[in-house]
Amino acid sequence: MKFYFALWYAKILGLAINLVSKDRGTNLPGEKALKIDPDFVKNFKNIDYSKVLFVTGTNGKSTTTNLIDHILKENGKKIITNIQGANLLGGIASILAKEASMTGKLNADYYIFETDERYLPLIYAQLPAKNMIITNLQKDQVQRNGDPDFIYRKLAGFIHPGMRLFLNNEEPRSKSLEHITEDCIYYGVDKHDESFVKGSDYPTLACPKCHHDIQFNYFNTDNVGPFHCVNCDYASEKSSDYQITDINFNEKTFKRKEVPFDMPYDLPFMFYNYAGALAVCQEVCDIAPVAAAKSFANFKNIGGRFEILKYKGKTIKYMRIKQENPDTLQSALNIMASDPEEKMVALGLYVVEDFVPHYANTFYAFDCDFQPLVNAKVERYLCFSEHVSYDTANRLLYEGVSKDDITIMDSDDILQIFAEIDKATTDNIYLITWLATFDKMKKFIEGGQN
Amino acid sequence: MANILRIGWLFPNTLNLHGDRGNILAIKAEGLRRGYSVEVHQITLDTLDFDPMNYDFLFCAPGEIVHFKEIVRFLTPHKNALSTFIETRPLLVTGTSIAIFGKLMHRCEDYSFSGLGLLNVDCVENKTVYGDDLYFTCCYNDKEMEIIGCQIQMMNLEILEETPFGLLKYGYGNTGKTTQEGVIKGQGIFTNTLGPVLICNPWLTEEIVNLIEHNKGMHPDAIKRDNTLEENSFKTKLNLIKTKETALTNTALSEQ
Repeated sequence: MKFYFALWYAKILGLAINLVSKDRGTNLPGEKALKIDPDFVKNFKNIDYSKVLFVTGTNGKSTTTNLIDHILKENGKKIITNIQGANLLGGIASILAKEASMTGKLNADYYIFETDERYLPLIYAQLPAKNMIITNLQKDQVQRNGDPDFIYRKLAGFIHPGMRLFLNNEEPRSKSLEHITEDCIYYGVDKHDESFVKGSDYPTLACPKCHHDIQFNYFNTDNVGPFHCVNCDYASEKSSDYQITDINFNEKTFKRKEVPFDMPYDLPFMFYNYAGALAVCQEVCDIAPVAAAKSFANFKNIGGRFEILKYKGKTIKYMRIKQENPDTLQSALNIMASDPEEKMVALGLYVVEDFVPHYANTFYAFDCDFQPLVNAKVERYLCFSEHVSYDTANRLLYEGVSKDDITIMDSDDILQIFAEIDKATTDNIYLITWLATFDKMKKFIEGGQN
Repeated sequence: MANILRIGWLFPNTLNLHGDRGNILAIKAEGLRRGYSVEVHQITLDTLDFDPMNYDFLFCAPGEIVHFKEIVRFLTPHKNALSTFIETRPLLVTGTSIAIFGKLMHRCEDYSFSGLGLLNVDCVENKTVYGDDLYFTCCYNDKEMEIIGCQIQMMNLEILEETPFGLLKYGYGNTGKTTQEGVIKGQGIFTNTLGPVLICNPWLTEEIVNLIEHNKGMHPDAIKRDNTLEENSFKTKLNLIKTKETALTNTALSEQ
């Protein structure tokens, strides 16, 4: 009986929240329902767990979930998903409560859930999905997660031989979970024009099987590419089950087994999301690549990390990175470096403020290779943001940038940032900062300061 | 060989968490500034001819504990040489990797394994991670100094009868309950300070290179490095530490 009370309470609360904001992803109704019935998610009826997919990993969860959601809907499937981003148990409980009948019965073809990798064991205990796609397991949010092995152990603790895993063939850590189940489907990406190598003084990682060194042939995106262990036989497969090929940046197209696709975003880290989504759609949902291909042309990524602002005749290209996450910073650096035009780079790494205590961590910048950016016609650098601007500048100095080419601003004052942008002779401005500062800048421009 | 500065970078791929290569860049830059030719050698689990005494400076970055047993196995034949090394030469070990050189490592899953035993310390893995700034005073090569950095604490460090490297002014340090930070043994620094600690605190880098020069019979560099940028960084980070909210009770910065 408590399940029904929890369900009805969650439905009412969800409706109330929906009145305030229709698009808001929230944990609250589910969290409250779980307080009333701790097994709330377990008690929903009519869920075929072979039709349930978890999307997890460090980077690319939201994009992969969004794309799978889009492909399935375009192909007429009824799905329940949390694309609004509430990816903890409470969020999943909220969406199930919303979609269920008053008696807790669900009716969907597929259930696609982005899941926070840290809390996945709790979610799995109540919703034992048969399918899981892991995008990658990288260094991320070290204040919460410590190191990638912390998350690896959480995943390895509940994955079992009855599960089907979709694994990134070219990411050594997550691929090594293949030892737990034989039902593994691999996805990967061919070498492309923006594949790159790093100097030997950029460390890689330890082999998850024998602890010796992993070597990459090249990187398709940071820390992801064909690899092998120098000691044991652990290596990426020569070709994956779902391999993206013929990536053409000019025409914005790629292929999978001769099927042509439009490339909605020509960002290298998203190619793996494309490959993974195609694998899931075919293997779990029986949507062949030919059918999936039609959906790519009109795919719009929700909450993407790139935005463009127009300001006084200048183009400000904003790239949002994840804090404490070298891979997203490296991707942003690579994008700037691939632009042959003269540019100004405004770099606002910032104090980590996820929870108390806040702290001044910018050390992940030393995992990233700035050299291609330094060689890519940068007119001037602006290092801003309170408490960490000097450290950011120091990272550039150690890459050989002259002190004279760097403005250091120990502040997030957007008027000062705009004043520096005003001084640039180039119209091509790249901006990296946290969302709060960017939103202020956006509002400033939208308010007519243009 | 006196004008060559040789850096040994221990297990750079196996132990790689927090932008720690910055420390190699810092020593290298300071060595070059003083006119040395600098060689950086990566020591891996596949290195066959490792001899600590071939190096002027050794660096061991923090890593995932899962790899430590294999590293201890590799280093065990070199324990005596490492012990001799730190009598006079600088070794920097950061973060979790202190456990490699300690006596015992207790893991969350209720099992333990032995470290190299170079230090009489026990390490106990924590079930939760603690990340914060770290601010302490220390003395190295007879020079008193203050260090600021970050700490991501995956384990508590019980230093038993060893000597702490620093005295905390703010931060979690070894256990979150005392003002002890890290361990110093001979010229070996074992600190919880992560990332590019030698870049953010060039005064420590200078003392390490001074010691290297002394070991080589050279006179420390007369032209001082311009540390203005790092001093400004230090001041603004100290301001953050002094004004931020914290739950730590082992250090009471406002009273100092």
